[in-house]
Amino acid sequence: MSLGLIAIGAAVAALCGAGAALGMGNATGKAVEAIARQPEAAGKINSSLMFGLIMMETCAVYALLVGILIVFILGAKA
Amino acid sequence: MLNVTLFPTPCYVFGVNVGLSVVMAWCVMALLLTGLVLLNILVVRKMKPAPTGAQNYVELVVDGIHRWAEGKVGHAADFVAPVSMSLMVYVFFNTIVELFGLPPATKDLNCTFAIGLCVFITVNVSGFKFRGGLRGRIKGLCNPSAIVMPIRILTDLIAPCSIAIRLFANIMVGGIIMELIYMVVPIILPAAVASYFNVLHVGIQTFVVGLLSLIYVSEAIE
Repeated sequence: MSLGLIAIGAAVAALCGAGAALGMGNATGKAVEAIARQPEAAGKINSSLMFGLIMMETCAVYALLVGILIVFILGAKA
Repeated sequence: MLNVTLFPTPCYVFGVNVGLSVVMAWCVMALLLTGLVLLNILVVRKMKPAPTGAQNYVELVVDGIHRWAEGKVGHAADFVAPVSMSLMVYVFFNTIVELFGLPPATKDLNCTFAIGLCVFITVNVSGFKFRGGLRGRIKGLCNPSAIVMPIRILTDLIAPCSIAIRLFANIMVGGIIMELIYMVVPIILPAAVASYFNVLHVGIQTFVVGLLSLIYVSEAIE
C-alpha cells in the first residue's frame, strides 16, 4: 500500500471531527438559549449538556484513535 | 518513528507475563491503600461532630460525591455513590502517574475494560436490587414497549465496551500527542501542554467515568 493512500485514509477518518464539532456547537448553542430563557434550570440543563458532549467527544476520540492507528501502524509497515 | 501499539507492554513477574500496566496498577494501589489506611487512622477514627482540619476535606469529597450521585440516581445513591467514587479514585490516581513520567495503567485496554465491567456489574446489580428482582428488571428493559427490549439489552451490553474504549483512547491519544510535541519542540511548550494533557485531562476523564456510571445506573433503575 502506498503512503499516499494511507495519508488519505487517515484524513478521511479525521473528517469525523467535523460531525462532532457541528453536534457540539449545536448542543451548546441550544443549551445557552435554554439557560437564557430559564436561568433557574441551569443545573439540569448543564448536566444533560455534559452527557451529550461526552457522547460526541467519544465519537471524535474514536476517529482520532483510528486516524492515529492508521498513521502509525499502517504507516510504519509501508 | 513513534512506536504505537494496542498491545500492553510485556513485564515479567516470576516468569509470568502480566503486562506493565498491571504492575503499575499494583504499585499505585499499594501507595493508595497505605495513604487511605493512614487517613483512616489519623482522621476518620477521630471524627468529631464539629469538623476541624483534615476532616473538612474528607467530608467535602465524600459528601460532595454522595450529593452529586443523589441528584442523578436518587435513593440508590447510598449503594452507587461508593462504587462510583472508588472507580473515580482508581482512574484518577492510575492516570495522574503519567505526570511523573510513569506509564499509566489506564493506557492499557485490559485495565479500562475491567473498569467497564465493574460499571456493568454495578448497573445490573442495582437494576435487580431497586426494581425488585428479575421481573422488575425485564419490565424496566421493555419500558416504552416490548419491541425496544433487544435494543436496550444491546445498549446495556455495549456500555462497558464504550467506557473502556473511551478512557483507553483518551489516555493513549493524550500520551501520543505529548510524545509528538516532545519530538518537535523539546523545551517550554511541553510543560504548557502537559498542564492540559496530564492534569486537566485526567480530571475530565475521572469526572466522565463517574458521571457515566451514575447515568447508566439511573437508566437501569428508573
